This record gives sequence, structure tokens and C-alpha cells, in this order.
Amino acid sequence: MKKGKSKSYDEIFEALQQEYTLEEIAESFVFPGPQGPEREAMLAEFTAFRKHARATETPEEKLIVRMLELRFQVQHYLKTDAVDEHLHFAHFLKEYITRLAKTNKDFAADIDIDPAELSLVLNRRRQPTDKLIYRLQIHSNENFPAVLWFKLLEKERAYELSRNKELIDKERKHVKKGLTFSFKKLSK
Amino acid sequence: MFLHEYVTGKCHPAIIELMTKKDFDVVKRDKGRFKFDWHKYKLQICEVYKLQLKRTNIILGLICLTEHCKETADAIEISLIEVSAENRGKGKQYGNIAGCLIAFACQQSIEKDHGGYVLLAPKTRLLKHYQTAYGPLYTYQNRRKATRYHVPGWRRGRPSD
Repeated sequence: MKKGKSKSYDEIFEALQQEYTLEEIAESFVFPGPQGPEREAMLAEFTAFRKHARATETPEEKLIVRMLELRFQVQHYLKTDAVDEHLHFAHFLKEYITRLAKTNKDFAADIDIDPAELSLVLNRRRQPTDKLIYRLQIHSNENFPAVLWFKLLEKERAYELSRNKELIDKERKHVKKGLTFSFKKLSK
Repeated sequence: MFLHEYVTGKCHPAIIELMTKKDFDVVKRDKGRFKFDWHKYKLQICEVYKLQLKRTNIILGLICLTEHCKETADAIEISLIEVSAENRGKGKQYGNIAGCLIAFACQQSIEKDHGGYVLLAPKTRLLKHYQTAYGPLYTYQNRRKATRYHVPGWRRGRPSD
């Protein structure tokens, strides 16, 4: 082989077999599939399979995917530092209920909560109680644990605290002999 | 997600992120740890991700994903995976790197609205070992060619938190 020319995948596969068992190779590599017309045929066949799978998907399978998608959305939002004022606790709870294809009233009955209380929470007029959050954990069979909901509330609360300038100014007059330096200014 | 360190028995948090231009240069120079020519996937339509421990910036594994839109295969294709040399075979340092990368592909498939379907076309000789390592995959034989297998659905994967 010429210097500088990279090995083909078949050559790499053959070389790996001198060093590792097939099981070990499978644990560490996925090689590219076929190319050209063979790849086209493979994709066409898979497309047909996928179409059939979509058409025959059971309601439970659909629900699993929808709920997994929602859980990833929540986790992704909690992971990022950015705050989106539309992505609050009530938004994700509304999504949860929508994905179940239930009315708010039916869902309130499922978790034995007064429909009026649920409505207040969904419209952000009342903070959710611990009781509601634990019932969400139980309802979701722990797929949406209480901690996940609490973290959403925490993020929402942190955002509100940082933006409540009026209250900060009101409280300022009650504080004396505070620190005189600021990390923000020191780092500049 | 967490990687299991064999020597200490401890689990270490790991992250998966998109490869940067600098990462591709690092991998290209690191021929002793990676055998595939990852550089040629840099400018293609697929996306290349790296797995590394949270506390270090050493790349331990790579995955190349190709998205197939709803009108076609409606899935995420695992085009390529490679685990770094020190994490392969009997004396490996960390375990389940490829498993985490595959779970990540499943997560991408859910997030990108492909229903959790992941596609790969394994080498025939490796197929049963993929099934052993990553669970009972739904597979079927291509009727046109008896030796070719597809892995149409890999919906079991739920990435660890």
C-alpha cells in the first residue's frame, strides 16, 4: 500500500480480526454499509418496512414514543443554561396531558385532583403543590420523576427571581453593611 | 450517561457532542487510537459526534449519523462507529462506549421525530455479535441477497440519564 493512502474498510476489518475476536469488534465498531445500487436497494426495502411499521404501530407504541420525546425535551431544556419563558412547568404538564389524548377534566380525575386546581396550575395562577408533583410521578410510572418536575419549577423560579427588579429595589433599603465588591466587576 | 471504568469499578459521567474542526484534526493526528478515516466525513451531510468523559477532553468514541427524512426511510442511520484503541478488547479501560453511542442515536431518532427507528447495515459476520452486545434486534433478511441483513428497528434503546 502506498504511503499516506488510507486503508479500505475491508482491509481494516481483516486487520482487526488478527487482534480482536468478532465479538470484540462488534463491541467497538460499526462499518459502513453497502454503497451504490446495493445501498439504494437496501434503503428502498427499509423505506417499505418503515412505512408498514408506521401503519401498524399500536397506540401504546405511539404513546411510548411521544412520551420519550417529551422527556427528552424536558431533559434537554434543564441541561441548557438558556431560559425560555414559554417553557415553564405548566407548558410541559399541558404537553403531558395532550400526549395522553385526555381532557384536563379526565386527567384531573385520574390523579384525584380538583379540576379547578389543575386548571389554575395549567394557567399559571397557582404553583403546583408537592402532592400534585408526586401524583405526576406515580401517574407516569416514574417515567417523569418528581425531581424532573421540581427542577422545572426551580428553573422557572430562578428566572422569575432574576427578573423581579421591582422587588429587588424594594428590598434593597432593608439591607445594610453588605459586601462592597462585585465578582462581575472584578472579572472585568 | 455513565461509563464503567474496569480497573476501579467506578462509573464516570460522559457527554456526547458534535465534533468541531479542531476535534477532526486531533483524531486525524491520533492514528494509533482511531483506524477509520474520520476526516472524510467532516464535510458530508452526515453528522459526526464524539463521546468523552465530562472531566476530560479526550475522545473515547465516535459515531457518524445520517438522517433519512419522513418521505424516505424515516430513520437515523448509524453510518459508522469507532471506539478508541485503549477501550477495545480484553484490556479495555472503559466499557459500553459503543452502547452509549447507539443509545444516543436512538435518542436522536426520537427527538428528530423518526419514532426511535435506527438503521444500520452490519457486516454479516458481526450481526449476531451486535445482537449479543446490544440486545435482541429486530432484523430481517434481504430477499434479494441472502447474505445481507438490515437492522430496521432499534427501538429498545433508552439512553441512560
